[in-house]
Amino acid sequence: MSITEAGSPVPGIRVVIVDDHAIFRSGLKADLDPNIVVAGEAGTVEEAVAVIAAVRPDVVLLDVHLPGGLGGGGREVLAGSAPVLGSTRFLALSVSDAAEDVVSVIRAGARGYVTKTISGAEISDAVRRVAGGDAVFSPRLAGFVLDAFGTAPADIADDELDRLSARELEVMRLIARGYSYKEVAKELFISIKTVETHVSAVLRKLQLSSRHELTRWAAERRLL
Amino acid sequence: MTTAVSRPPLVRGSDRVIAGVCAGLARHLGWPLRMVRIGMVVAALAGGAGVAFYAWLWIMVPTADESAKRNARQPASPIAPAVSAPYVAPYAGPATADASPAAAAAAATAGAATAPAGAVPADSWRNRVPGMRYGKEILLGAGLLLAAGILIARLLGVDVPLGTLIPVAAILGGAAIAWMQLDETRRAGLVDKTKADQAGGWARLAAGLALVVAGVLVMVSGSGSWEQTWLALLSSVAVLGGVALVLLPWGLKFWRDLEAERAGRVRATERAEIAAHLHDSVLQTLALIQRRAGSETDVVRLARAQERELRGWLYRDPGKDAGQLSEGINAAAAEVEDSLGHAVEVVTVGDCAMSERHEALVQAAREAMLNAARHGGGAVSVYLEVTDGAAEVFVKDRGPGFDPDALPADRLGVRESIVGRMNRHGGTAIINSSQAGTEVRLRLPLPTGASAGAATNNNSNGEVRL
Repeated sequence: MSITEAGSPVPGIRVVIVDDHAIFRSGLKADLDPNIVVAGEAGTVEEAVAVIAAVRPDVVLLDVHLPGGLGGGGREVLAGSAPVLGSTRFLALSVSDAAEDVVSVIRAGARGYVTKTISGAEISDAVRRVAGGDAVFSPRLAGFVLDAFGTAPADIADDELDRLSARELEVMRLIARGYSYKEVAKELFISIKTVETHVSAVLRKLQLSSRHELTRWAAERRLL
Repeated sequence: MTTAVSRPPLVRGSDRVIAGVCAGLARHLGWPLRMVRIGMVVAALAGGAGVAFYAWLWIMVPTADESAKRNARQPASPIAPAVSAPYVAPYAGPATADASPAAAAAAATAGAATAPAGAVPADSWRNRVPGMRYGKEILLGAGLLLAAGILIARLLGVDVPLGTLIPVAAILGGAAIAWMQLDETRRAGLVDKTKADQAGGWARLAAGLALVVAGVLVMVSGSGSWEQTWLALLSSVAVLGGVALVLLPWGLKFWRDLEAERAGRVRATERAEIAAHLHDSVLQTLALIQRRAGSETDVVRLARAQERELRGWLYRDPGKDAGQLSEGINAAAAEVEDSLGHAVEVVTVGDCAMSERHEALVQAAREAMLNAARHGGGAVSVYLEVTDGAAEVFVKDRGPGFDPDALPADRLGVRESIVGRMNRHGGTAIINSSQAGTEVRLRLPLPTGASAGAATNNNSNGEVRL
């Protein structure tokens, strides 16, 4: 994955902010750390696809609900940016906590999901993490994962993609309880790198699992 | 005008002497069974009328099993509940008032039969449907009785002017059939816009029309001359066809306009509802925020409360049962947020119905949240996980931490409200505090056989609701 400079800690992370509210975009720009450079902005699906293709940023901060296109919002931007998906990472942002939105955008290829209410420091941290190739799980996303995959650890008979391992479950539970990666590492006596590996593995399962229940579950669960 | 009398459907009963007709009739009318039987025998002695009546009911009235099968096969309408919830609402209220005239008349003649206690709401539509269905048979029966009466009168030598009576009967019959249609379409408009029974409706209309036309023709021509009548019939049908051809497009357009207008009204109602809700909540909050712009905590508190309320309204799950544990935890978190102006993030996985012990868990969690919001810093994270074996709640803050063992004895919050309460209800509470924050872990194991307990609990709930 990390063929480009995104893998190594370069000082300036170039991001594109995709959100239809100009006020939110400017607020976010002001909140981000100085070493995160906003290379472009977009307000609609078409604009976003064009800007991302032109700028080729390290990270795209992508609102889930966007006007334009065929009405698919953030998912459509991800689909339209398929050629750059290897070098550009997407971090989904939303005011919506609905499972349907979260799961669908993750399955479309986003590396993380945060709600718009989080602080500037937290979002900068999430951007750095995503730029480094890791996944960003909010407590709520971890809760969705636990709800969707079930809280029982994987049997050997099960398809590997359809269940979480015991360790992954532990990590997800701690994240759902509000632990940071660092705190998770301390609690489980493992390194942060190992936590990140587990989280990435869960993300991969979430994206690739063919478990049909997952989509159905998300569609049914309209509640936050 | 007619009070809605919900009565058991007319079906043949199981406690039968011959075919269960009397038992079913007695149950349906709410009369004593013995009286019905005696009445039937007396009627049978009176020239065999009772026998005919009995035989007719035997043929026309289904047994309870058949009736249930028929009703199961023909539900009211698949989309009916969505289109008009009030119609299928519990307790057949005003909806039954405009059942078919025949049924209403029957109800009136039957006197004040009391609604049996067993008539549960779910059955009410079923009661109604057979009533409407038998309206037809009752009319038919009345017609046959009339014919029989006329025949008997003729046998007895009374001169009955058949030449006028038959056309009049035909006109009346046709008109009745067509007007029944009106009544039904009015109901259908309420119940089902797709006009499920359209073919039947058209057939009925055609039959009514034919009868009326024939009757009028016979009456007008004044004679029974068939060829003349046939000719007139043909020409009148041709005229009617022409009129229909001309009026059909206009009628269709009218119908479409009506449909469009109806859809527009539904949209307008929805819009009005949303506008009303936004006005009551969001606009009021925005006004408050503008006036309190100076106080940051107030603004945050208002915004959080409004966000929570709006989220609840937008994403509420109508299929979800009330009284779930997750709701209790969410409500407690909302309360803490409101009173202390501190963000509390709740994540729930799994859910179960609330019980008394869960109430204790919610109270303990609430106390932990209050402590976390008061003494801790940063956001308070709450995580609820319900598995088959236990319900667990974790409340985490990022405050400076404290030593649970070094708490003064008079601090009841932690010792009594959290630890003591959990222990009393067979659960555990672990407080884990460090420099980086405090986490309260509450665990309430479910008693063995909890699933059976939950099932009976559900059942009793169901009974209460009925």
